[in-house]
Amino acid sequence: MRKGMRLQWVIVLLVGISIALVWANTGSEAEEPLPPLLTGSVFDRQEQPVVDAEVTLRSPGESEPLAEARTQPDGRYALSLPESTPDSLVVHIERVHFSEIDIELSPEAVQALRAGQSVVLPDTNLPRQVNAAFWVATLIFVGMLVLIATGKLHNTLAALLGASLVFAVSYLGHPISENLFIFGFETSLTYVDWNVIFLIMGMMIVIAVVERTGIFQWMAYQAYRLSRGHLWLLLPILMVVTGVASAFLDNVTTMLLMTPITIQIAMAMGANPLALLLPAVMASNVVGISTLIGTPTNILIGSYAGITFNDFLVNLTPGVLLALVGLILYSEFIYRKQLLGSSSGGISSVLLEKLAERGRITEPDHLKKAAVVGAGMLILFVIGEQIHLLPAVTAIIGATALMVWIRPDIEEMIEAVDWTTLMFFICLFIVVGAIQEVGLISLIAELIGRIVGDNLFVAMMVVTWFSAVLSTVVANIPFTAAMLPVVGYLTATIPGAENMALFYGLSVGSAMGGNGSLIGASANMVTAGIAERAGHPISYVHFLRKGFPALLITVALASIWLVVRFLL
Amino acid sequence: MNGIVCAIRGGPDSGATIARAITLAQETEQPLYFLYIVNLDFMSRTSSTRVQVISQEMHEMGEFILLSARAEAEAQGITAKGVVRHGNVVQEIVAFCREITANYLVVGQPRFQDEESIFTQALLAQFVQQAEEQTGAKVVLAGGGAE
Repeated sequence: MRKGMRLQWVIVLLVGISIALVWANTGSEAEEPLPPLLTGSVFDRQEQPVVDAEVTLRSPGESEPLAEARTQPDGRYALSLPESTPDSLVVHIERVHFSEIDIELSPEAVQALRAGQSVVLPDTNLPRQVNAAFWVATLIFVGMLVLIATGKLHNTLAALLGASLVFAVSYLGHPISENLFIFGFETSLTYVDWNVIFLIMGMMIVIAVVERTGIFQWMAYQAYRLSRGHLWLLLPILMVVTGVASAFLDNVTTMLLMTPITIQIAMAMGANPLALLLPAVMASNVVGISTLIGTPTNILIGSYAGITFNDFLVNLTPGVLLALVGLILYSEFIYRKQLLGSSSGGISSVLLEKLAERGRITEPDHLKKAAVVGAGMLILFVIGEQIHLLPAVTAIIGATALMVWIRPDIEEMIEAVDWTTLMFFICLFIVVGAIQEVGLISLIAELIGRIVGDNLFVAMMVVTWFSAVLSTVVANIPFTAAMLPVVGYLTATIPGAENMALFYGLSVGSAMGGNGSLIGASANMVTAGIAERAGHPISYVHFLRKGFPALLITVALASIWLVVRFLL
Repeated sequence: MNGIVCAIRGGPDSGATIARAITLAQETEQPLYFLYIVNLDFMSRTSSTRVQVISQEMHEMGEFILLSARAEAEAQGITAKGVVRHGNVVQEIVAFCREITANYLVVGQPRFQDEESIFTQALLAQFVQQAEEQTGAKVVLAGGGAE
């Protein structure tokens, strides 16, 4: 009985405290009402939000601001008004690389604010300002592309030079002229896509383990065995094997490991290795885009546009397969004399024995473990979208799991991470961020927007073919990085483009365009380098003759798929 | 230890170089060494830390190329050895010749001036002089297929 009484008192006490707290809160709200807010949004000419613009509220003729705010990533701002509001008010908006703008508030708006009501201003369009910084950033970007394309500097050094020049001009030029300021160090870091950096890093560690197992050599040898010495049959098998490997590993690594063994197979069969190598590298460039992790350009596109592993598989793989079939038929046609003229009839038993020895798995235990971890990663890549798991996190988890399980030399594994490539990406993001900051990207986007109008089909064809042709002369990674905001603008403005069709067009163009010339893709250069060291040089003209028609065929077939998938 | 060093890199152009070296070995009855140099200069434009792995792959490829050359020599009654070295092509050829105190060094000549070869005609003349001075070996130029 006594226990029941005590419980009643405790409940009464708790209820009392709760009511007192609610009363106290209500009381304080009543005593201090929230000040009225003046809110609005700032956009550029491409209807993209202007971030970090300084918004101030002033009384006309007064220099001291009454309220200050900065625009958020969605372009919105909110000014808290002071207790006493003057009769007339002006909103002043300014941001570096944009023209300043003053908006005089209507008497009705001022009256509402003075009455304690919040007011929402109409969206503001802030015009771009083309100043010295615009031209300097543009020159730096173009200079970087030229240095990379001509090979005068290593890719990473060219990008590092570009980023350093951007900072040097911003910090050292700013005291001379305000118009020379591009952006500060902290702002530049906001342009670096860390999802891309960590995804590439994780995959590099996984690849470092896989490449030592002998799986590539085994696959190539199995392709040879499966073909039973028929070159015309070996060619498509090798192309499919190379393509599938490229869809999960980067193209350069795939070709670094596939080229020597392919040359040996061709030598053993008494065939011209180029009849196998060129189609193989072209297949690598084509099939690599069927997954998010197959090419650096897909990693860039996926991270920027939020396109998942599954999205790439569903929306691109059928087009890629179509293009691969076209590429196989084309390769069989152009190399028909070599393919039908040679057979393994005259193969040396010594060479065959050596070939079989090369085609063995060297680290079966590591390969089994890598296969288990790889399968787990694949599952996480596929279901990642549902559980909001970023691909970069999956790659890091997979790489760590593999290292913990296999226990390799950790220093060797860390050395296997291509830090120069990661540095290249970081610097590239900064340089591309610079041209984005000064408005070059907006200008290009507006220009392309005017050409394509509201027509999604025209936009898709322009993006795909423009990317493909340019990728034959411009390194496709910096090109894709620069095109992302352009395609983003077109996606936001063209009716129906929200299905991301234009980003898939960019993926197709930038990757398959690499087949158009020897310098179009790093994998081409690596293949040519190894072939040259085996006495089979691949000249620029030779590659152009074989590769450019392949570009036309594969991009045309992939374009047909994109039209069927997204427009019909 | 004397002998004939034949520097090759494989491919159709090496055929004449290999044939000349075999003939020379038959004529002089000196031991024949086929030499392949793994040179990774082409990797300088590629951002890749795969040097160790690709170096091993190129080594294996070099052995395969040498095996083919040795089989050809064997077919003509000459037992040849194959040697794979890593590094700068010219320096490694000279170093190996000095190592075995070679009497002859057989290398190919570029067929075309614009061919992507380690030796252009001008560089080849310079190399011949340098190799003969530094190794004491007589340089024999074969038809095509310069290393």
